[in-house]
Amino acid sequence: MKLEKLKEEKKKGKITFLLKDSDEVFANTIRRLVMEEVPVLAVEDLEIKDNNSALYDEMVGLRLGLCPIKTDLKSYELKENCKCGGEGCARCELKITLKSGKNGYVYCEDAVSTDPKCTFAYPKMPIVKLLPKQKVEMTLTAVLGKGKDHAKWIPGLAFYKREVNIKVGKVANPEQIVQQCPAPGIFSVKGNKLEVNSDKVHDCQICQKCVELDENISLEETGNFIFSLESWGQLAGKEMLHHAAEILVAKVDEMEKLL
Amino acid sequence: MIIPIRCFSCGKPIGHLYEEYRERVDKGEDAKKVLDSLEVERYCCRAVFLGQVDLIDIAGAFKKG
Repeated sequence: MKLEKLKEEKKKGKITFLLKDSDEVFANTIRRLVMEEVPVLAVEDLEIKDNNSALYDEMVGLRLGLCPIKTDLKSYELKENCKCGGEGCARCELKITLKSGKNGYVYCEDAVSTDPKCTFAYPKMPIVKLLPKQKVEMTLTAVLGKGKDHAKWIPGLAFYKREVNIKVGKVANPEQIVQQCPAPGIFSVKGNKLEVNSDKVHDCQICQKCVELDENISLEETGNFIFSLESWGQLAGKEMLHHAAEILVAKVDEMEKLL
Repeated sequence: MIIPIRCFSCGKPIGHLYEEYRERVDKGEDAKKVLDSLEVERYCCRAVFLGQVDLIDIAGAFKKG
């Protein structure tokens, strides 16, 4: 198995890489590990002292749960693995206080976290909107959790597709193919001939439209996979993959012991 | 009511983009261009923006039942 990095946008937490000499089973394993097993922090409990905003307590709670929190996996532990035995300590819980009485949106940046490393990832995320005389005051408890328990603990999106080579022979109507292809830039016309832009081939959605239109075009699967990772802000793109790999190794070790 | 924190389908956080979107669209900019510049790629996330109706200012004036 080989990995080859295609594109990395660190600011947006996106990574695209090519998975070589592998199969769908492995690609899907990585996908599931990233989405279901990699733990991140999310608000789980909240103690509401005051909330006379337009949103019900439950709605504010659900909204806060979905706000991504930057997660430092070295300093936090899953509650079930924590030394405190699930009672709640500084290793497995993060306390955040939220208090506002200002007219207008209450943002995530108004919440004060006890850990300066782990704060809400998007400061300008609106939680509620207050009218004059309305206020909210609450204490939030964030814990680590897994994506298979609730979507708020999913660290990001992971997906893959097959890599194809596009082979072009003599094409009767090249303009039509450029127009009909849903991914812009793959095909171009040069002197009445259809050309494939090699740097854009990875955008191909394998919709087979070009093959339907002209029998001299063919899509050949290379057997590789284009794997994309998109982080929601809690972890960096690479971190997600790194932890997924660690979890896979731990799971294999556990299975070996049981057999 | 109020813009959702995340996209319903894919889970991408989108709430923090809404204020800029609203401001620019109200000024007369094309919604497609604004969404493209905010890098909202998938149509599931784009639909959340296009279908959003802000009712919280109206609903907030009434008592919760």
